[in-house]
Amino acid sequence: MILRPPANQLDPRMRTYWLVEGLLATATAVAIVVAAAVVTAVAGATTAAWIVAVVGGAVVVALAVAAFVTPRLDYEYFRYEVMELGLYVARGWLRRRWQVVPHARVQTVDTTAGPLLRAFGLVAVEVTTASAAGGTSIPGLPPDVAGALLEELARRAGLEEGT
Amino acid sequence: MSAQLDGRLHPLGVVVLLRRALGAGLLPLLVIVLSADTRVVAVLAVGLLAALAYALLAWSHFRYRVADGRLELRSGVVRRSVRTIPVERVRGIVVTAPFLHRLLGLVRVEIEAAAGGGDKAELSLPAVSAAQADGLRAAVLGAAPVAEHADRRVLFRATPGALALGGVTSLSYLLAPAAVIGVVFNLVDDLPGNLVERGGDVLVDRAPHDVLGVAVAIGAAAVLVLLVAAAGSLLVDWNFTVTDDGERLTAERGLLTRRVVVLERDRVRGVDVRDTLLRRPFRLVSVNALAAGLARRSGGTTLAPVLHRAAVHTLIRAVDAQAPDPLSPLTAHPAAARRRRLLRALPVPLALVVFAVVLVELWLIGAALLLTAAAILVALDRYRQLGHAFDGRRLAVRGGSLHRRWSEVDPRAPAAYELRSSPFQRRAGLCTLWLHFGQGAGSRRVLDLGEDQAASLLRVLDASLLEPLLAGDQIGRLRRSGARRAT
Repeated sequence: MILRPPANQLDPRMRTYWLVEGLLATATAVAIVVAAAVVTAVAGATTAAWIVAVVGGAVVVALAVAAFVTPRLDYEYFRYEVMELGLYVARGWLRRRWQVVPHARVQTVDTTAGPLLRAFGLVAVEVTTASAAGGTSIPGLPPDVAGALLEELARRAGLEEGT
Repeated sequence: MSAQLDGRLHPLGVVVLLRRALGAGLLPLLVIVLSADTRVVAVLAVGLLAALAYALLAWSHFRYRVADGRLELRSGVVRRSVRTIPVERVRGIVVTAPFLHRLLGLVRVEIEAAAGGGDKAELSLPAVSAAQADGLRAAVLGAAPVAEHADRRVLFRATPGALALGGVTSLSYLLAPAAVIGVVFNLVDDLPGNLVERGGDVLVDRAPHDVLGVAVAIGAAAVLVLLVAAAGSLLVDWNFTVTDDGERLTAERGLLTRRVVVLERDRVRGVDVRDTLLRRPFRLVSVNALAAGLARRSGGTTLAPVLHRAAVHTLIRAVDAQAPDPLSPLTAHPAAARRRRLLRALPVPLALVVFAVVLVELWLIGAALLLTAAAILVALDRYRQLGHAFDGRRLAVRGGSLHRRWSEVDPRAPAAYELRSSPFQRRAGLCTLWLHFGQGAGSRRVLDLGEDQAASLLRVLDASLLEPLLAGDQIGRLRRSGARRAT
């Protein structure tokens, strides 16, 4: 590819985080498929119940495979780097994306963490610009790394403390 | 030096606030007043007085102030609110004159501002005089009040004929009658009794049954649709005029509601020129300015709703003296991009052909083949339209087929840059470059660039920002080819 990968990777725990996230999605899908199949079967529509079970089963298998395979790839391909003039982020392995946000265009830099991410002791860094499509996020870093990154991005963007 | 300003709404603004307090209840209220007995009218009069009192309070609590580089708006009767934004965050001011305002000689002012977090905070002054609006614009945008008509140069004025033609060639105006008919049917459905069915029977009885009668009915309906479309366009864009006073562009339009948008010339980041299949035979296009701060929703960036293609360059040169010519040739994209267009266009129509063959329905096979041919033609045209050019200052991009868009943009203006590549694109050595602009200006993309084209483009668009991203071998390759060219 014509672009070099950015220098830094996410925290390695993100692989486990994405695995857990994928397994949770799979479990939810299992619950929905089982419920739907049981309801249709009880209603007497046996053929429909079989169709639901087979199609739903295929979806569940696909989700489960994805849950085990994709975290490694996502982790491998996600990179970020603070450059002289902008933040450089690369993500995605199937559809690859390379984003560059000039420091001068950054409006806010925040750290956020959902309950699952917090359980892993990680936080995410969110960067917004005036364009809805022009923001970016770095989904999982240890708090000290995220804090330093936040400070550096805010300083380079010329944002006041606390914004 | 910072501008100072302190003001209230115009005294007649009370009428606007009263109208607002009554809201959607106004029409039923009038109907009841005209038909009911005195007791009901008395109750309603009390309600009206309460609304008037509320409007007066709202008027007296409304203050706006520009001081110390901040714009402050105080309002609210029950819940007081004070909103303050730094003046430098104000991206634009839109002045509209809805019907009631025009009767009173007032205008409404909307202030579009960039808020932290990318969402837009909108402040509005519901009813002020035109002079107040000018004063506010001067204080907030730090500019002299808009000059009198005499000093302004007219860049573009739409003739009624062009607007009518624009209406009948615009899908949204052509489809407008369908929406109206839908609303009418919904209303009719709520009418009591079998009125509708009886009406329908009468219509069916009277409907023409011979070929000539049916043809006349269809012809009349078509003419009606065209008339409504033309009228819609004339209503919205009546006397559309863009004037230039040196620093600002002012676009005015509308028959009942007159809309005035003022655009700082320095904030224009580019121009879009669009044409559609319906307008192409007439060589008509529409021209929009890409400006930070004016959302497309307000139509605030339109420079010309309909314009002959040959006049476009003169218009955009008047806005930006060095703007590239939309008719000048662009760099084509690699042949792999054509294959990709075809590969993306064909699966659905080909599946239909297979389906039709399986069914052995002759007419269906024919239709599917026709659809396939159309898809191929569109795909080839999509490829032909693809192109980009960079003249050292502005990036020109073209794309689309049925709807074509040519854009010229300032490549240093985007809030973010993005390169994307799907697995198919990677195998074909292609990628797509996105430029994300802020504040309602949207994104522009250069679709299916060759990878080497993308590398050279990134290197020249904003060298100090983007060159450090290029892989080492790319930089070497570009330097070598640059050296070869130099020798």
